[in-house]
Amino acid sequence: MVEENLLVGAVMILTFTSLLLTYRVLFGPTTPDRIVGVNTITTKVVVMLAIFAVIRGEYYLLDLSIVLLMVNSVGGLIFAKYLERGGAID
Amino acid sequence: MIEYPMLIFGETIMIFGALGILRFPDVYTRLHAATKCDTGGAMTILIALAITTNAPALIKFKFLVLAFLIALVNPMVSHAIARGAYKYGIKPKVVVDMYAWDNP
Repeated sequence: MVEENLLVGAVMILTFTSLLLTYRVLFGPTTPDRIVGVNTITTKVVVMLAIFAVIRGEYYLLDLSIVLLMVNSVGGLIFAKYLERGGAID
Repeated sequence: MIEYPMLIFGETIMIFGALGILRFPDVYTRLHAATKCDTGGAMTILIALAITTNAPALIKFKFLVLAFLIALVNPMVSHAIARGAYKYGIKPKVVVDMYAWDNP
């Protein structure tokens, strides 16, 4: 099973890069740095869910990843509006 | 047989995008690395998965829909974050700032 080993290695690489990006979320100098890190981590989680759907043969995880991507888009736009108002909550 | 090089190519793009986010000096250069590398890597991996799975045609179509949505959503969100970061008051560390020419 070359194919399944390759897919598991892909999940491991995506987890490793997400852990690298956690540094930027925790110690980012400004607020937009943290938002960029969170958005990138969410995109990586979407790809990881799709790979899990292929490995396990449970294809309902694809619907889950599509919904997570749409929630990510709405959240990113709301964070952008929050930054655009100068960081004020009203 | 094309799916294995596409999978490895996407993973390599993901690694270089993460390194760019770690090492670049500015918000806008980090956003550049995040958007381009992440969108290209995710689309390549999803197309490779749609090729390599042995599922009905509807499932393969869902993979392609997911790749299309990533190509649609990810640049839009990063554009909005860049605009918000400029309005937030963060100046880019470059010599030429062409956005400030148009919007003084």
